[in-house]
Amino acid sequence: MAHLSESSNNDDINMNNLHIEDKKNDVRRSSVLDEGTLRENESESKHEQRLDALKNAYGIMLNSVGEDAMRQGLLKTPERAAKAMLFFTKGYEQSVRDVVSDAIFDEECDNMVVVKDIDIYSLCEHHLIPFFGKVSVGYLPNKRVIGLSKIARIVEIFSRRLQVQERLTQQIAQAIEEAVQPLGVGVIVECVHMCMVMRGAEKVNSRTTTSAMLGNFRHNAKTREEFLIIGRNSSF
Amino acid sequence: MTSQSTDIVFIDSTTSRECHLFEFTSKLRTIMKVNQDLPHDSVNLTVRSVKSCTCSNHDNGDSDRNTNAPRKYSVLDEKALREDDTKLVRDQRVQTMSRSYEIILESIGEDPTRQGLLKTPKRAAEALVFFTKGYEQSIREIVSDAIFDEDCENMVVVKEIDMYSLCEHHMVPFFGKVSVGYLPNKRVLGLSKIARIVEVFSRRLQVQERLTRQIAEAIAEAIKPRGVAVIVECLHMCMIMRGAQKVNSRTTTSAMLGVFREDPKSREEFLSLGRINPF
Repeated sequence: MAHLSESSNNDDINMNNLHIEDKKNDVRRSSVLDEGTLRENESESKHEQRLDALKNAYGIMLNSVGEDAMRQGLLKTPERAAKAMLFFTKGYEQSVRDVVSDAIFDEECDNMVVVKDIDIYSLCEHHLIPFFGKVSVGYLPNKRVIGLSKIARIVEIFSRRLQVQERLTQQIAQAIEEAVQPLGVGVIVECVHMCMVMRGAEKVNSRTTTSAMLGNFRHNAKTREEFLIIGRNSSF
Repeated sequence: MTSQSTDIVFIDSTTSRECHLFEFTSKLRTIMKVNQDLPHDSVNLTVRSVKSCTCSNHDNGDSDRNTNAPRKYSVLDEKALREDDTKLVRDQRVQTMSRSYEIILESIGEDPTRQGLLKTPKRAAEALVFFTKGYEQSIREIVSDAIFDEDCENMVVVKEIDMYSLCEHHMVPFFGKVSVGYLPNKRVLGLSKIARIVEVFSRRLQVQERLTRQIAEAIAEAIKPRGVAVIVECLHMCMIMRGAQKVNSRTTTSAMLGVFREDPKSREEFLSLGRINPF
């Protein structure tokens, strides 16, 4: 497995260039690999500031709900809830580019690679309520494969943000496409939305499935079919 | 509810916990400054009367940590924290919560003015009010007209009631199923009222252990059966989505009162009839 620095020079984007200042910065910035890094490289003190602001907000919320914020069970809740919220949005702290750039390998594989049943937990951006489920990712490599756990990490980075399931699915697919330039990518996301189960329509058993098919997966029905069969998520 | 005296609540400067002094009329809610008989350096002499009895039931059953002492208060008559809310008060709550959510959006680094997040503070605030709507009702209102005399002496079990609650430590949902069983003593309770009792206690900031106990005690007080048993099995998002991140683990708590506590056979029968299947 050759490292990318020795890779052939008929590649359009040599992954080795990722860490070099690029003249085409604007083009790079619009890449999904760099998208959404709202809290990248922040200092400790900035992190503390965020925590404090969140703590205050949660403290006020406890009182507005009618509860007694001074009782034993709720005393440290603002702090815990603040840390939890920062954890649920930790996808803003990393760019996908940083995570995947050293796990792209040259490989002669030209058969479908599928990683399925990846658990995801995200926050619905409309209600700030969790939605969770499983993701299946499949791609047809074009002389380059990506480290398998990096696929899970890509899912993790995009899901630990305020999301809309459609956008999440699209971002995962585009990230894989940009990172390895495969012949095609397919992503299926199946989730239970607590905002729909716990409130609102209150439909307890319903799930939402979204998918993104790029390249061969979009144009070739047989490929798509193969992915849909191999990559079918188990029920949860 | 017919008591004439007023409740004065003050924040004790030594412990900074609220404590009660007197009973009060339930409709009265006043805020006054009180400085008689208190040391000059007492902090926060804000007085608020929102409680209906002399014991610490304003903390959602939280402070009575001496589990061996008999319960001093009635869970049926526990004052609902938001029972007296007018529409104006409710709107104010939503507004304050919206503002808090806006601060939360800014603090996590997001842009609250982008299209998807524009109305999120309001939606999230309304959602939180919904998730805590258990504070708006008292149990007595719910059950009082659905208690019937019936000669039933065999176990009644309502099982696998879906339940959604908010963990009071992280304000993150936990959800699962509840099975309730009781052995009537000449009185039965409307079946949907059992589900409503679960709903009222679960739509609050809760701890699973307390939720289970409250459901059992409410049924015990309402119809005084020979025994009550409650099992609650839940998934805690605070443990799955963060922290320990144990995806498949569930927490089961139970409350056995009366004959279910004393007689292992009854308990066994309930555990088999009310078994919660994997979900």
